[in-house]
Amino acid sequence: MRTDEKVQEVTGIQAADIEAALDPAEAEGVYRDSRQAAALALLSGATKLLLSPPTPRPKKG
Amino acid sequence: MEQSGTSTRLQAAVQDLASGVVSALRGGGHAHVVPPVGTDGEAGDLALAAVRVLGADALLPGLLSRTPPDPAELAVFRKAVEAYPPRGDAAPTVRWSHWAMARTLRRADPSSAEPPHEPDTAWLDGATWQVLTHQLAVLAPLALPGEDCAVSRLAAGRPVDVARGFVRAVRRRDWRQAAGAGRWLTLLPGVPDTVGLDTGLDFVELMGGQDPLVALQVQAARRMRTGARG
Repeated sequence: MRTDEKVQEVTGIQAADIEAALDPAEAEGVYRDSRQAAALALLSGATKLLLSPPTPRPKKG
Repeated sequence: MEQSGTSTRLQAAVQDLASGVVSALRGGGHAHVVPPVGTDGEAGDLALAAVRVLGADALLPGLLSRTPPDPAELAVFRKAVEAYPPRGDAAPTVRWSHWAMARTLRRADPSSAEPPHEPDTAWLDGATWQVLTHQLAVLAPLALPGEDCAVSRLAAGRPVDVARGFVRAVRRRDWRQAAGAGRWLTLLPGVPDTVGLDTGLDFVELMGGQDPLVALQVQAARRMRTGARG
């Protein structure tokens, strides 16, 4: 019995599982407000502090 | 999309392995991150599959620090290469990942078999910058200083496209893709300074670094960038 067949027998891991992990589809993009992203990007040098929190927004509903 | 239990367990094992690699990279030296070959039962088999998925990066700390690999680690790595060859109809990224492992095995142990011929890059001919960046990020283990292959040559010819892809990935909050693209950008010539790669990598780590697969690519990029400057 080949090594990969033994492994599959014990764990149920198929070559297809591995190949799926090695060929992933692109993740769905999650876009946020660009002003929020810009604020988060303002890293303060070595301290890496966020200089500007995102603007509070009214809750919907 | 719902994932199978096997797929979920495999992903968890890959994340565990990646965490070990990140720790070793942060420590600046080599640590034993691959479980020994004697690990019994399902845990050992799952770990073997995880090594195959993480690919050549499973031995990255030793590779970057030029430390000879632990023989036990090397044995597991070799077993993963042998146990999971790409199938005939495998996707290009699967074939390239396996080729990268074979190359790494040969580097780590010159007595190992020569890696097979490189797969082709035809699937990237005319690829849009978005597709190119996604595929390069998946193949980030190929991004190594001083290591040449058809994929790295192709990437070297499109630095601006990869830079655009990096920025797009950040804006989409696709941290894995951003980290992988950032790793490539540390090696490519002709990357525009306006990308702000150092700050970008800091941002990717800040936002996505809790994912070991993101942290691994960011740490690899930093180590390679430091090495390039030194």
